[in-house]
Amino acid sequence: MYRYDEIDATLVAERVAQFRDQTRRFLDGKLPEDEFRPLRLRNGLYIQKHAPMLRVAIPYGLLSTRQLRMLGHLARKYDRDYAHFTTRQNIQYNWPKLEDVPDMLADLASVEMHAIQTSGNCIRNTTADHFAGIAPDEIDDPRPYCEIIRQWSTLHPEFTYLPRKFKIAVTGSPADRAASEVHDIGLHMRRDANGQVGFEVLVGGGLGRTPILGKVICDFLPREHLLSYLEAILRVYNQEGRRDNIYKARIKILVKAKGIDAFRTAVEAEWALIRDSALRLDVAEIDRVRAFFRPLPYEKLADINVTQGQSADFQAWYRYNTRPHKVPGYRAVIVSLKAHGEAPGDITADQMDRVADLADRVSSGELRATHDQNLVLGEVRQIDLLETWQTLKALNLATPNIGTLTDMICCPGLDFCSLANAGSIGIAKQIHERFNDFDYLYDLGHVEIKMSGCMNACGHHHVGHIGILGVDKRGEEWYQITLGGSASGKSSLGEVIGPSVAKDAVAETIARILDVYVARREDGEEFLETVRRIGVDPFSERVYAAAH
Amino acid sequence: MPQLIKNRALCNNEWVVAGSEAAGSATRLLLPLADYIAAIAAGEPADSRAVLLKPEVHDLTPLLPHLQHLPLIAVQFGTTGEGRGYTQARLLRERHGYKGELRAIGAVRTDQVYFLARCGFDAFDLVDGDDAAVAISQLDRFSVAYQTSAGNLTHTRMRYGHQG
Ligand code: SF4
Repeated sequence: MYRYDEIDATLVAERVAQFRDQTRRFLDGKLPEDEFRPLRLRNGLYIQKHAPMLRVAIPYGLLSTRQLRMLGHLARKYDRDYAHFTTRQNIQYNWPKLEDVPDMLADLASVEMHAIQTSGNCIRNTTADHFAGIAPDEIDDPRPYCEIIRQWSTLHPEFTYLPRKFKIAVTGSPADRAASEVHDIGLHMRRDANGQVGFEVLVGGGLGRTPILGKVICDFLPREHLLSYLEAILRVYNQEGRRDNIYKARIKILVKAKGIDAFRTAVEAEWALIRDSALRLDVAEIDRVRAFFRPLPYEKLADINVTQGQSADFQAWYRYNTRPHKVPGYRAVIVSLKAHGEAPGDITADQMDRVADLADRVSSGELRATHDQNLVLGEVRQIDLLETWQTLKALNLATPNIGTLTDMICCPGLDFCSLANAGSIGIAKQIHERFNDFDYLYDLGHVEIKMSGCMNACGHHHVGHIGILGVDKRGEEWYQITLGGSASGKSSLGEVIGPSVAKDAVAETIARILDVYVARREDGEEFLETVRRIGVDPFSERVYAAAH
Repeated sequence: MPQLIKNRALCNNEWVVAGSEAAGSATRLLLPLADYIAAIAAGEPADSRAVLLKPEVHDLTPLLPHLQHLPLIAVQFGTTGEGRGYTQARLLRERHGYKGELRAIGAVRTDQVYFLARCGFDAFDLVDGDDAAVAISQLDRFSVAYQTSAGNLTHTRMRYGHQG
């Protein structure tokens, strides 16, 4: 993975010193709260319901075991022994003290981490496919380009006060595992006819109040122009994006208002003037960064049948929680942070330490955080899978539910978030309790539930096969259900099935929806395909039939 | 009264926004772009008229013929979250070669100064109440940067530059 050089280390250290100074001025009463707010947000610090919340960046989800141990250390020293992985491959602490945050940032800097631009109206952490570099279907490894984007976007002087937040996702495979179509910019790696690497560029995707899928602004952008093209998009957005209404300030609204063609014309006009500036990436710089992501010295192994003669539990885990690796004899393991009864995405300090130990032992000493709030051990030899499973199982991190109904995406909701209308963690637990029969879950196959506690859609509910949105009805928590959303290639936004349902009726509503699927599915048809084929009406009829 | 910082020091401000309360009998006036063009066309003295650039101006073409003789361009920040002035500054410096004074006025606070300087501002009308010494010290806050800058802050090394 990327290692800091002197520039990176100095910059992060100076950033910590800057924030320490800002915090001191705030605590001394020299910096008013409303002026401190945007500064602390740019260092990932929110003031939430109970306490400040600190969001730490995990650039494109890649994490060393040393870093994971530090994250565990922070949870122990400054928080309540746990932390929460988010849908943007970051990690959040829910209970730090404001005056401790500069020390937390200094601890992070010691392992080449930071919280820079994890919030605020600026360019956020760039996310990527969590199987980057190991996926068999990959065109090229997106991570070197993510790192280049990370550096370019960090403390970019021109784009520090954008109209609104700005998120970029990069994928290197045809399969989209980074929800790139619902990002402000989605980059899809491509090769042209000569084998040259470049990007298909999407712009103007996003969720929130106005969910929109990104539109193609450029079919093929040669890689050397990556930064100049991004800069041109950001510059047009910075100048023309709306600043009068927070709900209309995202780039998706600008792209929609101008139309993608006029927006493209504006970007290309700007780009023409900067494409051959010093922003042009030369091969040497690309290669310098690529060298950090060189494939491991893999052993020459053959694929083996590891499940033969093993327990049904192990077989289920192998089937649901491991994925193919591009190198024979290896496999990627998904560490499930979706144990039934636990808040999705949460992990304790002890689990962090033990997973780090495991990764050092059986994988590469690196882990990946996924946007669906799990972890991945990317480089496990197949002969080590049994031991890996046993270790994870003892840690309650081997629930064999990846890709099933209970592998839910879930935002912190009312329990922690001051913007929430309704709880989401409690609903996750309700669903866990109701759907605890793994044979039934396996029979249902691939179903994605995504849940947000309010319209901000941090839980990506619009693109859940089943989306759950918390709404406030006269002070009570109610839930609006959508069906048919997806963010993994051929993306679509879910359709509302009808009036929102009461808090205690959510699991029952989902049960009815699943009944319709089981009754109506055709041979081998996945849930999403059935919804797309028959539409939401049959589901609505069943859900609301006896509800009066 | 805002505090004008130039060359890392407080200094006197001779320019006032035309029509503002402070204007009084002042002779050195800041005018919105259209008014400035009209004033120069009407023969008002070029050395005591300067442009007040509003955030919504993103076509700088009408300003270009005046860059050579303009003593000052004041870029207005309505709020500390206003970000358009950063782009305006870079375009003026890098694309259009403006060499005169580029001053940030309005909601200009201590923690913006570093980023403003990197975009090419060389004068800062710091809000009343902020400590000018602390604001000036922000210019040395970072010794490295990933991007080259239009301003004259120097960093030991820059990774992703613009033009030299
Ligand atoms: S979706 Fe709403 S409730 Fe959930 S974390 Fe985001 S802002 Fe908070």
